[in-house]
Amino acid sequence: MLKTILAAIFSAGTFNQMLRSATPVALAALGGAMTEHAGIMNIGMDGMILMGAFFGVLGSYLFGSAAAGVGLVLLMGVVVGLFFALFVVKFKSDEFIIGTALNTFALGLTSFLSRAIFGASGTKGNPALPTVHIPGLDSIPFLGQVLNDNSLFIYLTWLLVLVMWLFVYKTPYGFWLRASGEKPETLRTAGIAPEKMKWLASILCGLLCGLAGAHLSLGQLQGTFAENMANSRGYIAFACVIFSKANPAMAYIAALMFGFFDAIGLRLQDYISSDLTNTIPYIITIVMMVYVVVRSQRKKRYAGKRLPAKQG
Amino acid sequence: MKKRFNWGYLVSLLISVLLAFAIGAVILVIAGFNPLEAYAAMVDGAFSNARHIGDFLEYAMVLCLTGLACVLGSRVGIFNVGGEGQLLLGAVVSCQVGVWLAGYSAWIAIPAAALAAMAVGGFYALIPGWLKVKVKVNEVITTIMLNTIAASICQYLAKGPWKNANKNMVAATEKLDPRFWFKTLIPGSGLSTAIVAAIVITFLTWYVMQKTSVGYEMKLTGQNPRFAFFSGIKTDKIVIVCMVISGAMCGLVGMFRVYGVEHLYRSSISNQYYFEGLTVAMIAHYDPVTVIFLSFFFAVLKIGAQGMELSAGVPNQIYLIIQTVIIFFMAAESGIFASLRAGSQRRKARADIRRKEGEGHA
Repeated sequence: MLKTILAAIFSAGTFNQMLRSATPVALAALGGAMTEHAGIMNIGMDGMILMGAFFGVLGSYLFGSAAAGVGLVLLMGVVVGLFFALFVVKFKSDEFIIGTALNTFALGLTSFLSRAIFGASGTKGNPALPTVHIPGLDSIPFLGQVLNDNSLFIYLTWLLVLVMWLFVYKTPYGFWLRASGEKPETLRTAGIAPEKMKWLASILCGLLCGLAGAHLSLGQLQGTFAENMANSRGYIAFACVIFSKANPAMAYIAALMFGFFDAIGLRLQDYISSDLTNTIPYIITIVMMVYVVVRSQRKKRYAGKRLPAKQG
Repeated sequence: MKKRFNWGYLVSLLISVLLAFAIGAVILVIAGFNPLEAYAAMVDGAFSNARHIGDFLEYAMVLCLTGLACVLGSRVGIFNVGGEGQLLLGAVVSCQVGVWLAGYSAWIAIPAAALAAMAVGGFYALIPGWLKVKVKVNEVITTIMLNTIAASICQYLAKGPWKNANKNMVAATEKLDPRFWFKTLIPGSGLSTAIVAAIVITFLTWYVMQKTSVGYEMKLTGQNPRFAFFSGIKTDKIVIVCMVISGAMCGLVGMFRVYGVEHLYRSSISNQYYFEGLTVAMIAHYDPVTVIFLSFFFAVLKIGAQGMELSAGVPNQIYLIIQTVIIFFMAAESGIFASLRAGSQRRKARADIRRKEGEGHA
């Protein structure tokens, strides 16, 4: 019994599922890393993902191509990013309230439009994103099964992780972005308005969360939109951002961890009620948050002990 | 000391509401509906007959209690976003307690169920409260995660161990003994005697928060925890206790929904109701009295929107859109005024310069 369960857990299928579950969270976490660096607490990612999922399907439905859907999502991402920044940066509103309201607004807007356009039963089977076949990869026994023939955005995410990492740590813009969150007044003295970097971060976050949603609806579910399909992924992405201290590469690893537990949950459904296994990734997220805080407190205590010794 | 009535708040609320309806109308037009017809159907849906009035009073009760539960947390500086989970768990547990005690008198079963609902809701709020105070984990994320976990657990209980005997009802518990049902006040509607209990709870919450020294200590803890701590207030204890009471209130709302309306547990017991209460609290700037008044307004909107869906075929989610647009405006209120003022000052300064230049030339 245990042997079969373990075999099911550590199969290629699980790791493939891990990759699938992790990707939308990872894309959103990349976006969240931008706003986090700019010093904005972004609770609204869930709503941004949901809007991305809806507008992706809408574009695909209206123009009959997934590429048009992604185009509409990118447009929407910029608009949502601008909207978020307008309230949080320009009007200096409470980030928590705006984020929560954005989530509810997205839920209302997408459900309303979905029912108005597609009717109560929703929509299915719109043109979806292609899967990518890499010739030759199949010959590698385990990795081939895990890595090959996945939806396009899974590979795009790898590229984006690299690009965002380079952007944050290796370009002057990334440097200014981090400064706008950590030491905004210093950045202003250097002649760059921190507000501008916050606007940029917000737009990038809108774009990346939009792509996360597009992957969910156009990639993972093959052109299907269901109400509230983001399903708290935005919050899990937020936890990944905190966990990784907004480092894009680490955020991806955190998302993979979430994906792994999600995949295990799906595997265990044959043995335990799926309602119970569904809770695993959320419990892991709480454990992750506790771990992050305990770790940083321990570090602080350690630093506090060392400091006087250094001075003395 | 009598507090001056805040006219500025009322004016900005009215402007926000009007703007929100205007934006809602634009969205309705884009989606191909006639906004005037839709809004007329909305008013009609809330007031056309006694049943709808009963429904909206029941929903106002839910909004008021959940909104106050949120205020209770935010007053001491902790945001209870997990009310939805506390509500669902309170509902399922109180329902099952009623099922177990089916043979006993209602005088035993109902208090037992209420206690169970409060205990479960309170305990479920204790987890994030304790983590926040003792470990300093951000409560927003933990409570949201706990919501999803609670929804799954309730679904599991309703499908598995506590499922009813009827094969056709997949995810629901056993129906309660009719002796335990709260008496319905307006036939056909959801309004039951639970509203009396709700009024008492509302009054108590308001009284404790606004009129007692405990309420003052709560306010101090929320506004300046360090100062409160050094003036000898046990801030940790106050935060945890407020969070637990907030959770217990949400659990009770779940029980009211079961015993007053549905008479069994199924997931339709709450459809993100806590989040709507939370938004009411946000729009009210976490002021308990304003929460009470606003919950009536938003209950009318919600029940009206449901009536509108039936009569005019407009999806009722337009209600969520209008409600959140109001929050956006209310949250940005000071920022919008500040940037308007800055703009007019800039214009004035520019005009001054121009005038001075003109004088210089003359």
